[in-house]
Amino acid sequence: MYRLLLNLGIVGYFGLFLLVTGGLAAYWAIYQQTAEQPIAFPHRVHAGQLQLPCNFCHRYVEQARQAGIPSLSRCMDCHRSIATERSEIKKLTRYFEAGQPVYWERLHQLPDFIYFSHKRHIKGEIPCAACHGEVTRMEVVRRVRSLEMGWCLACHRERGAATDCTTCHK
Amino acid sequence: MERRDFLQLLGIFSGAAILPGCGDKRSAGKLVSYLVPPDEGVLPGEALYLPSTCGECPAGCGLTVRVREGRAVKLEGRPGHPINDGGLCMRGQAALWRLYHPKRLQRPMLRDAEGQYQPISWDEALSLVVEGLRQARQQGRANLLLSGRTTGTLAELQRRFCRQLEVEQLPQFEIFSHAALRRAYGTLFGQAELPHYRIDRADLLLSLGADLFETFVSPVDYARQFSRAIKQDDFQWIHVEPHYSLTGANASERLVLSPGSEAALLSFLLRWNDSKGRLPTQLMAAVPAASATETARITGLPQERLEQLAEQLRLAERPLLIVGGIATAQAQGLQVALLAGLLQQQLGMVGELVDFARAEGYGSVGSLHDLERLAERLEQDRVGVLISDAAPLAQAPGTLELKRKIKRAGLRVGLCELFDDAAQQFDLLLPISHPIESWGDAAPRRGLLSLLKPAIAPLYDSRSAGEVLLGIMHRSGKEEPGQTYQEYLFNAWHRRFDQQQLRQFSEQGFLTLPVAAVPLRLKAEPAARQLAVEEVAEVVSAAAPHLILTPSIRSFDGRSSDLPLLSELPDPLSSVSYGRWLSIAPATAQQLQLQDRDLLRVSVGNWSAELPVRLQPGLAASVLMVQGDLLSEAPLPIDSRSGELIRRLDGVRLEKLGDAAELPILSGSSSQQGRGLIPDPVHTEEPSPDETRFYRAHPHKDYRWAMAINLELCIGCGACAAACYAENNVPVVGRQDHLQGREMSWLRIEPFYDDAGRASFIPMLCQHCHNAPCEPVCPVYAAYHNAEGLNVQVYQRCVGTRYCSNNCPYKVRRFNWWQHRWQAPLEQMHNPDLSLRDRGIMEKCTFCVQRIRQARDRAQDEQRPIEDGEVLTACGQSCPTGAIVFGNLLDESSTVYRLAHSKRAYRVFADLGTEPSIYYLRKG
Repeated sequence: MYRLLLNLGIVGYFGLFLLVTGGLAAYWAIYQQTAEQPIAFPHRVHAGQLQLPCNFCHRYVEQARQAGIPSLSRCMDCHRSIATERSEIKKLTRYFEAGQPVYWERLHQLPDFIYFSHKRHIKGEIPCAACHGEVTRMEVVRRVRSLEMGWCLACHRERGAATDCTTCHK
Repeated sequence: MERRDFLQLLGIFSGAAILPGCGDKRSAGKLVSYLVPPDEGVLPGEALYLPSTCGECPAGCGLTVRVREGRAVKLEGRPGHPINDGGLCMRGQAALWRLYHPKRLQRPMLRDAEGQYQPISWDEALSLVVEGLRQARQQGRANLLLSGRTTGTLAELQRRFCRQLEVEQLPQFEIFSHAALRRAYGTLFGQAELPHYRIDRADLLLSLGADLFETFVSPVDYARQFSRAIKQDDFQWIHVEPHYSLTGANASERLVLSPGSEAALLSFLLRWNDSKGRLPTQLMAAVPAASATETARITGLPQERLEQLAEQLRLAERPLLIVGGIATAQAQGLQVALLAGLLQQQLGMVGELVDFARAEGYGSVGSLHDLERLAERLEQDRVGVLISDAAPLAQAPGTLELKRKIKRAGLRVGLCELFDDAAQQFDLLLPISHPIESWGDAAPRRGLLSLLKPAIAPLYDSRSAGEVLLGIMHRSGKEEPGQTYQEYLFNAWHRRFDQQQLRQFSEQGFLTLPVAAVPLRLKAEPAARQLAVEEVAEVVSAAAPHLILTPSIRSFDGRSSDLPLLSELPDPLSSVSYGRWLSIAPATAQQLQLQDRDLLRVSVGNWSAELPVRLQPGLAASVLMVQGDLLSEAPLPIDSRSGELIRRLDGVRLEKLGDAAELPILSGSSSQQGRGLIPDPVHTEEPSPDETRFYRAHPHKDYRWAMAINLELCIGCGACAAACYAENNVPVVGRQDHLQGREMSWLRIEPFYDDAGRASFIPMLCQHCHNAPCEPVCPVYAAYHNAEGLNVQVYQRCVGTRYCSNNCPYKVRRFNWWQHRWQAPLEQMHNPDLSLRDRGIMEKCTFCVQRIRQARDRAQDEQRPIEDGEVLTACGQSCPTGAIVFGNLLDESSTVYRLAHSKRAYRVFADLGTEPSIYYLRKG
């Protein structure tokens, strides 16, 4: 009887441990979301090695709510002559020549009812990496922050920014 | 035109042109790249404001279209535009519902042998028209072009089209043709036009029948002029009418005369002021004799009041008489118009306050006589191709049987926007683009050209009327200046204007042009002859009760009745939303023992209709009132002299049916029940400050948002409510929910009547109380008070207990009983600055917090506080009279501060101690 209880206890203990670890792993995958993009664009090369400033491509980040993703003509400005032989660049050229936009997978998405302005955060001198992580070191971009309300508020409180509901909830 | 010139013009007019339409299904959860970046100044996620011109009625108000990601999301009146200067009526606000109407005609269609419509290509469609025109010419049948009131370059193109292709252009069709007025002015002064009335320059306005604030010529302009006039101390406005109109409700004094006695009243006034000696004696001799006693008997007005009125007119420095609407839509209409013209001449208004130099451009509009002739020609099989829009078929009086007769035309080509019943009378349907999808111009008034420039790419395979005509001309082998209508327009503008004017035209959306003075000389002899022909009918003998078919502020002449928003918004006087009703006087109701919603059968001759009744305080007992577009089958005769529709049926029989109908009446009571919402005479004072307070004081640091509503300027037109719907994604819930009292409007206008039947209006919206009763009862803190004085509702917190609504003394909170769905593609007009509310959520006015946010963003960029007037709420923006002012109460230099501290300021239910942030300014 005693042994049975002990065995059950041990199995239960380790079982719980496994369950928690498994749960965390699953959560982590969602949390650090990544996705396969139509064109394997390496931020590590552009933002890291070449040290292009973020707004070189995301050109509206200082002017508007949306940072904007680069237009294909922006990509082609360089890639007409640079690295044209690579398969991903050929893919890009095909998109451009066919006049088809690229449908990038979206990683950082706030709910529809949230008002968020990139411009305000840039003007408040928040580094891009604070929310997007060190994309300069990411071959494939993944989400490193939860983008949940508590996380937003923690920073807003710390920096003395507005915490009124209407600041973000629309 | 040179290629270079064209490109230059293109440069001027297409700065910040259409964004490529993004937002198809594939883009959900995706980021879609631009191929090439948009023009300078276009930022993704930021709104673009483009000029256009409203096409919902002939007034031609200037528009600003707010475009987000290639979708038009809101229309606003264009500030500075000579017609509306920022204001926009409810129909203008609803024009977006036409653009995204589920019934929009999407491609050319042809009716096949089985009577089914089959889609065809534009090429085929235009070839069919060309072939039809050719065949008809060979057969010796006439080809006809019939359109609504058209001005500007399109009118010129129509003339050219007709000349080149031997098509006969019929006089333009408007059911509100004002034909009697135009004919009278033609006889008297040789100007068969509608003058521009300068209400803002008058010190005494006498209006007779003209529904200035509803449909008469240019309602937003008149409302705006009224708001300027009333700010002068000595402005007096007397409105005379047999029925009850919104215009009458707003006059300083409303006089009720017997239906049809307008001519007698005008004759009396003419004779009284004869001493001024401005009219030739031969003319005066033709004016019917009218003594004070006799006129008092005919008109039913007290003799003293009549004499007083005549004296007021005589003594006024700048009197103005406006006659129209119901007064001219009767058998004596032409005579009324002639006498009115004479009185205007006699009192020296013509040329100044009755301005023909800036005439309203109705010269090419015909009358119902023209439609009668068309019906006749159709019957005689003399018509080949008839190219027309749908309006004549939808609105022509049933007596003409146009729908039956049109079948005899060789080919019926309809230029239609909606695929509705009227459109289905045509064989070939050509989809016409909405004004904000099209290039064009309009000259709604002489000396003004208003721009139409595509704010969005056409939603469907539609074309503008100009493109269609040009297409037919090209296909017939006619050389035209311009391959496209856009090129044709640029050519026309290029010929008329210099670079600087063109730039101005593009930027401000309109051009004012110098106008030549118009020679006005009274033609005494023809006028006298015409007057003598018109017999003074003994009108009062016509049997009572009279049924008057009024124009409708919501649907104009019926053309806007298909727009869902306009059925959702209640009629300002009766507060009925869906369905049709008959307004009756309380005295009549008492006599027949009727109450609201009881069914009554009205009949004249063989015709009868069953209508639920709605009591209309202030309505004369001998008069019944129904909105004309709701009773389009009524057997209204056409006046043989003026060609106007006679909008009155005499001697109607009434029969109580004993049943009641379901009729959504949105107002709870037509009386204030002594609660002093509008403090005349009752108003309960604010409690003394030493009373016990249940509420914590709220500190405000930089801003305390507040609103002032000037009730003297509020005309109850409902433009604010319509604007609120459009701005805030307020769902249109439909008749059934209205019957259950579940309307969703964040802002409503409540009509209240006093014992004498005088109406007052009060816009009611969330009062953003300082001590808000809704806040402490919310168990989840969804309703709270923020540091800027806003009473905020956090939708994500709300669990739908509805305690807040129960505790709100103003009944302004709205509960989502359903997951409201917008029928595609109506959802495209959603304002993305605002979330959509789910089922089970409470919502209400937010003081347009998204606009505050936008202003704050701009101010922060420029590192300054938000300036006074920078935040314009949607309601305030749209108000034609500027009655609604919004701003920061902590800023002592702000307009709202000044108004809130005016002697006239008060707050509704101040005695409850809620301390609302909305200050109303009582009249006088």
